[in-house]
Amino acid sequence: MRLELRDVFHVYAPGTPFEVEALRGVSVAVEPGEVLGIVGGTGSGKSTLVQHMNLLLTPASGEVLVDGVDARTVERGELRRRVGLVFQFPEAALFAPTVEEDVAFAPRRLGLDGGEVRTRVRDSLEALGAGHLAGRSPFALSGGEKRRVAVAGVLAMGPEVLVLDEPTAGLDPATRGDLLALILGLKAAGISVVLVSHDLDEVAEVADRVCAIERGVVRAVGTPAEVFYGAAEEDLAPATVQTVVALGEAQRGVGRPVRFRETLAALEALAEG
Amino acid sequence: MANRGLGQFYPASSPLHALDPRAKIVATAVLVLGLFLVDSIAGFLVVGAALAALVAISGIPPGAFLRILRPVAFIVALTVMFQVLFSREGATLVEWGPLEVHSGGLRLGSFLALRILLLVSAAGLLTATTAPVALADGLEHLLSPLKRLRFPAHEVAMMMTIALRFIPTLGEEAEKITRAQAARGADFSEGGLLRRVRALIPVLVPLTVGAFRRADELADAMESRGYRGGEGRTRYRELRFRARDALALALTGLILLSGILA
Repeated sequence: MRLELRDVFHVYAPGTPFEVEALRGVSVAVEPGEVLGIVGGTGSGKSTLVQHMNLLLTPASGEVLVDGVDARTVERGELRRRVGLVFQFPEAALFAPTVEEDVAFAPRRLGLDGGEVRTRVRDSLEALGAGHLAGRSPFALSGGEKRRVAVAGVLAMGPEVLVLDEPTAGLDPATRGDLLALILGLKAAGISVVLVSHDLDEVAEVADRVCAIERGVVRAVGTPAEVFYGAAEEDLAPATVQTVVALGEAQRGVGRPVRFRETLAALEALAEG
Repeated sequence: MANRGLGQFYPASSPLHALDPRAKIVATAVLVLGLFLVDSIAGFLVVGAALAALVAISGIPPGAFLRILRPVAFIVALTVMFQVLFSREGATLVEWGPLEVHSGGLRLGSFLALRILLLVSAAGLLTATTAPVALADGLEHLLSPLKRLRFPAHEVAMMMTIALRFIPTLGEEAEKITRAQAARGADFSEGGLLRRVRALIPVLVPLTVGAFRRADELADAMESRGYRGGEGRTRYRELRFRARDALALALTGLILLSGILA
């Protein structure tokens, strides 16, 4: 499916002294079967943006379109199923006595029969490399295992778009690698993925397109190479896209997606030259 | 996001914010206790008008202040209903089957409602104009004579500060978890009471688990920064009781006295 946000504004605590305009006219689309990376500094509006994708937050103005149809007209449960949203630190919402029951929560809410629920629980745990954890208590798992289970809990809904908000934050390299592999696997299966991340390396690695957002405004959209180099050329305000700019500048002339080691090498070359 | 309500500090620079927290705590305590001696509509009006004036001075928008009162609206309504329906004092005003409304009940009910509203307003004004840290400092000072009786004044004040400090944090956490479960298809607004309560389990369990983890972490963090309880602890901000604080106390007494006599 194609998910589009058109000129979306969002205001927190309107009419109070704590009023914050978190999104200021954001337009971005998630094309069918693509991996869209969303990058930006803390407080840039990334998390607010993705919560509009399944209307957990409703825009103050502007619209969200699902295959060209106003998302507000789509039945709410149906929308939440089609657009699966994995929050930042999703393991904070694990609650059931066993991993199996926790992952089964969403498919059960969909009203699927017992056999189908079991199949989905098994398949999504397998996809996350967590099949062996099914009988354990989610509270007794390691951080990485909890993250796998929490992602499986959303995957079990069978979403057409999977939105991952900072899925690799604070993870060990093995779990991180598995999650990135999962993203590419989902893409191969025709499922769109939205990846919100601070880590430009991983975005460059898996994303087809990147959307850079700063203080609630989209500053650039394009392939990772375009966005990361473009940021340097357009002289964006440095406060939040600093890293992007630095990486972009260091990479000029390399002509490949940005990787940390390459950046270091380029910086060293600059220093020596 | 901004979960404003009872007990929330409202930062502003007003004469009320600048008062010594001890003066404000004592004034509020006196006012709250004194409210039980007020027993005429005129008296409630006097105290109410004084509180309204104080809110105006405090720089808190009236709308935001009224939001403080919202959580108690239900209790007030319930109290009034019980008083009006079950009190058999005074002349009968309305008779409707087994239900009777008497003038005495109406009087008692409205007095109780006014008392609760004014009480909560006074307490709300205190917490809205006093930063939690200042509030705890003030309380600790006021309780410190009890230290001689081995009363842990500092620890009690610290616990209060922490509790107040974590109300908004827990609120935010609850909201986050609620959204995460909503994204998994949880629905908190459908079905009867039992179903709604059951729908809360996926929120309450992680919230509780998180609160305990947070408490553990906070204890560790405090200990690793050398916290050893109140003994020998100095403070960054010293409290000073000034003339204006005495004036505020005198004024409170005056308001209360006119309320009782009116």
